[in-house]
Amino acid sequence: MSSPQNFDEIEYRVGNLAPVLRKPLDSPYEISNQLFAALRQVLHDVGGQPDLPQPYLEKVEEQWEMNTYVTCECLGWRGAWNSEERRRAENDLGATLYFGLPYYARWATVAAKVLINKGLITPDELSAKIDQVRARLEKSA
Amino acid sequence: MSQTHEHDHEAHAPIQSASQISEFEVLEMAVRELAIEKGLFSAEDHRRFSEWAESIGPSGGSKLVARAWVDPAFKERLLADGTEACKEVGIDWLDPTGTGTPSDYTYFYVLENTPQVHNVIVCTLCSCYPRPVLGMSPDWYRTPHYRRRLVRWPREVLAEFGLHLGPDVEVRVHDSNQKSRFMVMPMRPEGTEGWTEEQLAAIVTRDTMIGVALPKADWTATSSPSAG
Amino acid sequence: MNRRFQIGDRVTVKNATTMFHTRTQAFTRGKSGVIVEHRPDWVIPEDEAWGRDTPERGGRDEPFYVVRFKQKDLWPNYTGFDVDTLETEVAQRWLEPAKEDQQEGTP
Repeated sequence: MSSPQNFDEIEYRVGNLAPVLRKPLDSPYEISNQLFAALRQVLHDVGGQPDLPQPYLEKVEEQWEMNTYVTCECLGWRGAWNSEERRRAENDLGATLYFGLPYYARWATVAAKVLINKGLITPDELSAKIDQVRARLEKSA
Repeated sequence: MSQTHEHDHEAHAPIQSASQISEFEVLEMAVRELAIEKGLFSAEDHRRFSEWAESIGPSGGSKLVARAWVDPAFKERLLADGTEACKEVGIDWLDPTGTGTPSDYTYFYVLENTPQVHNVIVCTLCSCYPRPVLGMSPDWYRTPHYRRRLVRWPREVLAEFGLHLGPDVEVRVHDSNQKSRFMVMPMRPEGTEGWTEEQLAAIVTRDTMIGVALPKADWTATSSPSAG
Repeated sequence: MNRRFQIGDRVTVKNATTMFHTRTQAFTRGKSGVIVEHRPDWVIPEDEAWGRDTPERGGRDEPFYVVRFKQKDLWPNYTGFDVDTLETEVAQRWLEPAKEDQQEGTP
């Protein structure tokens, strides 16, 4: 048994334990209507879902985060997309990426994806540019 | 607060050594450079918008509240048309593009706290926030955690911020799910009689304008524990 | 488009099926509240999200409303107090006049 002073350590682990009988979804043959409805839920619609108290953290925007925000807004400003397209694109990433990526990483990811989707850049242009930028930054690091 | 959970560790600013380039930083630069090459926006656009983004902060909102506290006619104008009244403190919701920002729009409303009603703001669907008057949103405001819990357990969340309200005060949660942007006008606290607008603005912290804190006459904006 | 609802009207949020994207929250569906403000006519997010963000591009303008709900009507076993409320903005297409049988227990 854990002593009272260890409650802080265990409360999140306990909250996150899942029964070992849960089966991951891996292209099931069939699913119920209820499960389909749950899967269809628009991902960003989280109001009222259960969650544990968590510390309210402050974080100063890193430069790449500010740049991401500004890049996304400039794309909107000059008409490449509007903010609701960005928000839907974030949902369309799916739960793992939506909740797995840091906030601005989500923005950067969908900016790239939507530009490809709209035919404004090609996938190989993106890949080549990423490799180019990474090499340049690594050289100057 | 305990710092032993994994997600806690991830939530702090990552410690970046010179040899560890963030892939996020690479991705952003790649998108930006391609966008500029393709003429989707200009480098000058990015610079101008960045300048604006660096210039915004909670002091804008503080000025609005402080002025409303000392000037009843201004307060009336602010509550009647928030977007327009902002111009009186030098904030133009059309900046920096001339038509407003793509994510903040131009429909700004100030929510007045009274002894009967305490307002608090969230965007459950994303993290809509009145950037022109408050600057960039706090990290916690954007978390699924705050978005899940404030609408359903508002008094618990407020209590976690140290704010406890009685059963005779209506806690009114505003879920800003469309184009409106909101800011709370807290009540002027006792003990501030005769204060200048500047002195009053100093106690109107960001958290009091989101609605998770109340301004205190004996704290300043730099020493309020509400930022914790 | 005509304003269908006036300030003070009681309305219920429709429980229409949503595919892929909406900004009408699940926790409001089938719940009743009161119109407290008119908002401008805006292009609905269900159009904007797909690039139909102006009338020329097929974006449909619609009146929006601020609806105020009693928290105890929104949540089973709401843990706050009876006075507590929640306000959010809803497009006209998502609203219908309140069903009388959903008003039990509310003033």
